[in-house]
Amino acid sequence: MRFITPAILILATAGAAASFVPAVAAQAPAVQGWVPGKTSDGYPNIEGVWRAWNLAKYDLEDHGAKPGVPAGRGFVVDPADGKIPYKPEMLARRQKNYEGTRTTDILVNSDPLAKCYMPGVPRLTYLGWPFQIIQDKQDVNFTYEWSHKKRIVPIGDTSPLPDPEGGLNLRWNGMARGRYDGNSLVVTLGNFNPYTWFDMAGNFHSDALTVVERYTPIGPDTLQYEATMTDPNVFTRPWTIRMVLQRQKEIGLLDYECTAMLDDLGIHHTFPRDFDVQQ
Amino acid sequence: MQNRASIVLSIAVLVGGLAVVSTPALAQGRGGGGGRGGGAPRVAPALPPAGPIPRTADGKPNLEGVFSGMGSGLTHTVILEDHTSGFGIRGGKSLITDPANGVIPYQPWALVERNKRREDVNAYEDPVGHCEFYDIGRLHSFAQRFMYTGGNIAIAGQEQIVRIIDMNRKQHLPASIRLWNGDPIGRWEGDTLVIDTTNFNGRTRMALGGDFYSANAHIVERYTMVDSNTINWTMTVDDPTVFTRPWTFTTAAPMIRQVDGSNDWNRALRLLDPAWEHDCHEGNVVLRHMRNVYEQTWGGKPRPQTVPGSVP
Repeated sequence: MRFITPAILILATAGAAASFVPAVAAQAPAVQGWVPGKTSDGYPNIEGVWRAWNLAKYDLEDHGAKPGVPAGRGFVVDPADGKIPYKPEMLARRQKNYEGTRTTDILVNSDPLAKCYMPGVPRLTYLGWPFQIIQDKQDVNFTYEWSHKKRIVPIGDTSPLPDPEGGLNLRWNGMARGRYDGNSLVVTLGNFNPYTWFDMAGNFHSDALTVVERYTPIGPDTLQYEATMTDPNVFTRPWTIRMVLQRQKEIGLLDYECTAMLDDLGIHHTFPRDFDVQQ
Repeated sequence: MQNRASIVLSIAVLVGGLAVVSTPALAQGRGGGGGRGGGAPRVAPALPPAGPIPRTADGKPNLEGVFSGMGSGLTHTVILEDHTSGFGIRGGKSLITDPANGVIPYQPWALVERNKRREDVNAYEDPVGHCEFYDIGRLHSFAQRFMYTGGNIAIAGQEQIVRIIDMNRKQHLPASIRLWNGDPIGRWEGDTLVIDTTNFNGRTRMALGGDFYSANAHIVERYTMVDSNTINWTMTVDDPTVFTRPWTFTTAAPMIRQVDGSNDWNRALRLLDPAWEHDCHEGNVVLRHMRNVYEQTWGGKPRPQTVPGSVP
């Protein structure tokens, strides 16, 4: 029982403040007549500190209340029923994932995030902590307050992603190719390892996952974020989530050093390597 | 047992230390594509000859690019003062330029504490081994990438660290907000970027050898661009909690622009390579062995240490 408070702390700290924004905000219309600015390189300007104030981190689908989790609407806009189109035989795995999170012991919690492992994409976007976008001519830099994770998206590189080489070229956050499409930044990702989840409800993928992210400025302080997931091993068809990200103006990125907090709680992150153990 | 533990730990620390600075290079292969993101290694011309200072539209020096002050290799990741070779690094002269004797002016209690941190059994305490933070001076043992964003300057350093230097704010954050690398505010003095940092949390180390400052430190860095390829950097540490006087150090060599073919390119590449992922904590099994020895030494509890006036 001694870990019950830390478990809630680690996984849900950003949750309380987030719960007042209804999911319908995801459908916020573009500001009439507003035209996004350009960077000095002529790209649509999406620089700044951004944050998702919503419930997506708990569950991407419509869900009722659970311990520490407010009930709320989901974020899946395609398929229209709002459900992630799992192959029927894959639903048991999601259920098992979720059951594994119902523990007070972080060391056996099935959510990779409980041990501060890299959250993956798109989970990093709506984890609840702010992140900063920096654009330059050749790439877009994402820096996340959560454990200061960062990723670099190359612009205009259309070469195919490298062969996975048995896992050597797989990444927690995938490998990216970026391009601008009208006012949107479009990021296509592949080469994911299979160890990350989409949310705290146990929604998962395989290493066949590809993700297409689309960041579109729809107002001076608002980005629309869309992500389309394709994974023929797990889903019957591609599916898309949509939400808004809000500009954080009052302060820049601060610290959330997840592993240091485990240490401070007496849960030394010297646990055995477990994420790639054959089940 | 103590001796055996020390030997085991020395090995573990060596492996761990190298793991922190170089294992990802082994773990993250570069595949067969043709582009930057996971493509083949780039082979291209060496550093072009130095020219005049490049400038941004407002006439300030344009720092954009990757620069490294590592000189001929890793020399000061363990000890900042005069040191012989060992631990996988070369010998080196003290980086401290003031005081003139090249010795960090610790208060007596702090020197005792520094030397305790230097003992190999206590290396487990170094947050870098935990995949956490390098201090802002220690980052200068490696290449750094300068970028601009919204009027501010961003400096991407080793591993996951990106410092956003606020160029507009005049006042530091409230004292209750403490950060691993502090709260940096920048300003220009001629062609020198001056970064003033406070609000530290006092948890970082300046080197594996245990050098440290407290949460009360006030650090001023000066980045002076002297030509298109070169930045001179100094860092002055003022911390009355730990030192008898302010002191200043610099990099092993001037910070030199890194391009394909530079001697530090392999490290600099990580700051530009989209296929590079800064995973470190995931599967960091070496730390477990270090902790075993540490706990054996200190009876399963953290080593007692106090830093007067520090934020808990």
